Amino acid sequence: MDEFQTGEEASFLVDEVSSIIKEAIEGAIGGNAYQHSKVNQWTTSVVEQTLSQLTKLGKPFKYIVTCVIMQKNGAGLHTASSCFWDNSSDGTCTVRWENKTMYCIVSAFGLAI
Amino acid sequence: MEGGKKRQDKDTSKGKKTTQDASGTAPTEVKAKPRHRNTYRLEPRTKVRDDLVRDKAQAILTSKLQEATYDGASSPFLCASISEEILKAVKELDYDRYKYVVSVLIVEKANQAMIVASRCLWDVQRDTWVSAKCETDTFIALALVMACYYD
Repeated sequence: MDEFQTGEEASFLVDEVSSIIKEAIEGAIGGNAYQHSKVNQWTTSVVEQTLSQLTKLGKPFKYIVTCVIMQKNGAGLHTASSCFWDNSSDGTCTVRWENKTMYCIVSAFGLAI
Repeated sequence: MEGGKKRQDKDTSKGKKTTQDASGTAPTEVKAKPRHRNTYRLEPRTKVRDDLVRDKAQAILTSKLQEATYDGASSPFLCASISEEILKAVKELDYDRYKYVVSVLIVEKANQAMIVASRCLWDVQRDTWVSAKCETDTFIALALVMACYYD
């Protein structure tokens, strides 16, 4: 029975993904203060921008992008994630961003196909 | 002396191999991906059942957090341990050819507003996600479980 490896192995490059996420955040909520009416729109645009830039990389990956925007109020926030995957090909990148009125945490997970 | 690629009938398991240099220099790790025989199976044997996964995640959340109050020091550990427990429980359901990502958020209630959004680029017919929530007087806990099919 013939066996073959289809194509090159791509890997999840954390730095590349992290810069994509930072750009998306800056672009969407860069200089803004927290506004309840706009938050929905902001999260959507951060996530969609990140996802579309990741797709443009053209790697054989499935992506999951999660964005949490929270108003600054002195409250605590903890997030944890565990994953069951192949360590050599899959990866994750989380970017924490803040300004005077809000926190924004974006996590991107990439799973090789 | 190790070397070569392993042939395996099983669908999963990839490994890193360590090869020792003949001249006695430090061992270098060579990532050799084992080749698998074609199974000609395009679908998983059983697709992930949303409701079962949601029940498990919800049960773990409520059991661990029902009596707890938010505490800045202990919450990070609680968060991480819940995340690992949910992952273990979902793995026990034993769906073949699936990778999982479990994400847990614990937020203290302080009259602030928060929004959680996510988008995924995947195979809609085979991949799925569930979310479970647990709310008490002092905090809200949210668990997201995503299952992705992997050939």
